[in-house]
Amino acid sequence: MKQPWAWVIWLATPLVLFSITRNPLYLMIILLCVLFVGLTLQGVRTGIPRPFSLWKLALWIIMFATVFNALTSHYGQTVMFTIPGKLPLISGKVTLEAVVYGATNGLILIGILASFLVLTLALRTRDLISLIPRAFFPVAVVTSIAVTYLPTTLRQFQQIREAQAIRGHQMRKLRDWLPLLMPLLVGGLEHAMQLAEAMTARGFASTKSVPVGRHFHPRFLMLVGVVLLSMGWVSQLSGAQVNGWLLIGVGGMLILGALWYQGRQSNRTTYHRPAWGWQDILTMLVSLCILALFLLPIPGLNRESLYYDPYPKLTLPPFNPILGLAMLGLLTPGIFVLYGKPDLEKSFEFGK
Amino acid sequence: MKSRLFSLAIYMAATISGLLVLLYPFFLPAISMRSGYGTFRAGEMPAMMTLLLGLCLIVLIIEAQGPMMNTKLIALLGVLVAINSALRFIETAIPGPGGFTPIFFLIILVGYVFGGRVGFLMGALTMLVSALVTGGVGPWLPGQMFTAGWVGMSAASLRLIIQPFATKSGWKKASGISPELILLAMLGLVWGFLYGAIMNLWQWPFIAGAQGQSWAVGLGFSETLQRYVAYYLVTSLVWDAIAATGNVLLILAFGAPALKALRRFQKRFSFTYTPEDEAIILKNGEGITR
Repeated sequence: MKQPWAWVIWLATPLVLFSITRNPLYLMIILLCVLFVGLTLQGVRTGIPRPFSLWKLALWIIMFATVFNALTSHYGQTVMFTIPGKLPLISGKVTLEAVVYGATNGLILIGILASFLVLTLALRTRDLISLIPRAFFPVAVVTSIAVTYLPTTLRQFQQIREAQAIRGHQMRKLRDWLPLLMPLLVGGLEHAMQLAEAMTARGFASTKSVPVGRHFHPRFLMLVGVVLLSMGWVSQLSGAQVNGWLLIGVGGMLILGALWYQGRQSNRTTYHRPAWGWQDILTMLVSLCILALFLLPIPGLNRESLYYDPYPKLTLPPFNPILGLAMLGLLTPGIFVLYGKPDLEKSFEFGK
Repeated sequence: MKSRLFSLAIYMAATISGLLVLLYPFFLPAISMRSGYGTFRAGEMPAMMTLLLGLCLIVLIIEAQGPMMNTKLIALLGVLVAINSALRFIETAIPGPGGFTPIFFLIILVGYVFGGRVGFLMGALTMLVSALVTGGVGPWLPGQMFTAGWVGMSAASLRLIIQPFATKSGWKKASGISPELILLAMLGLVWGFLYGAIMNLWQWPFIAGAQGQSWAVGLGFSETLQRYVAYYLVTSLVWDAIAATGNVLLILAFGAPALKALRRFQKRFSFTYTPEDEAIILKNGEGITR
């Protein structure tokens, strides 16, 4: 699977599911599916630097969410024990329902985090940047420069640190960071100057579509769109007779329309555009089917089990096998990655 | 002038819309006679907030990047965002105490020296790039970009306040610190707390906490505010106080030389070369560099 949009559509599916259900059984199924995809990708893409361990973070999040909720929320009928005294917030009964509710919150947070980590594993930074719409191409260029220059900056920081250490510089107080930070800043600005000259020399921004953001019509559409969005939001919240969904929809369409129009004004060429393979199409279709099953009104489908709540008394969460089975569709890209492993390895090696 | 006013209208509209999305727990009781989230279902709220904030952010970025087709500005922003993201990367790998983060130091100074548009993009793109690099992409990202963008943009407005102090050279002699640095440090202090308070609003309505701290549908404005303040004091005050103190210390310690360097490069970056035959196209004063 090489098509970034297929991955984005897949990502939207667990995110939507995590946001609509609090049933721990369903949450576990979704999380396990996401982890399966993540682990298969990790098996293929080894050696990717990550600033933290997901497992440690997951454990920390679940523990924190559970303990925090158990100690501060004193609702529920199944009392485990009582904290005596008059400690603000903490004193009172600690209930099993609060523990389950807290752990569920933790599961949702981990699920969202894991889903995004899967996207980071599946796509390289340049693929993520390629998802930026055409209308944002100045921003996309800035992002590309920043991502490209970031390793250089880190290397430069290391070199400056070593150079200062050789001169006997020691880090004792805050001001001692100055001889490290200023060369980094000034060196970066000098680099920006050279980069700008090189870009100008190569004819960057030399076409007549320069003042992209100055077109009046799309800006007017955006202004109207934003006003409609806020009107729709307020009317939906107030439960007014005006159809807020309609206002939000029209506002959103106007903004996206303006974005599309702005994008058409800019010329962008792509060296290599990733093609849609059958695996990408199948993943997209499966994801869209899952979303339709959970979001669209389907006669005869009972979704009550999604809205499980441990309060006021803990009961076993209900389970609808059709919904559980549909969630397994999230495994699709993982299966493709697992069985398409040699090809992927080859392509990543080629990418190096 | 017309374009500037129109631009201001877009900024105001997008900002007010974003604030309406984030601040709904406070005004909901005043506008809704129904119980619950008006006609929304509870499960729809986080997704709706992400969507609407994302759309507001799209509008703000499109407007801010408008006159940015200037190679020097693009290169400058790219490199500054990279430096700031590197600082965040280092901070993620070696966490500082509490909410200490070095990224707002540069966002504030760049916004102050290069203006509101550049400041907004600096803030928003720092969050985007550092999230891409550290794997921090998530539904919280539009909110982070939105708020960090405003940190940079608000720094530009300080220039209006600082102008009267600039003429009073006696103040610097008396205090030893330039008045602009003191005001910038104060801005850093305010944003240290405000950034946390705004980002908390993202999840506060959905957290089931203690009775006096969690939001409940049907509460009046004053009780909602009271509960939010209680929640903030318990969960975030110490964390954000460290962030705010860090901002102040960084600005006071490194602000003067960093401002000097940024201003020097601002002068170097400010020349424009306009070919004679294209002068007519650019006479509306956009300052596009070829």
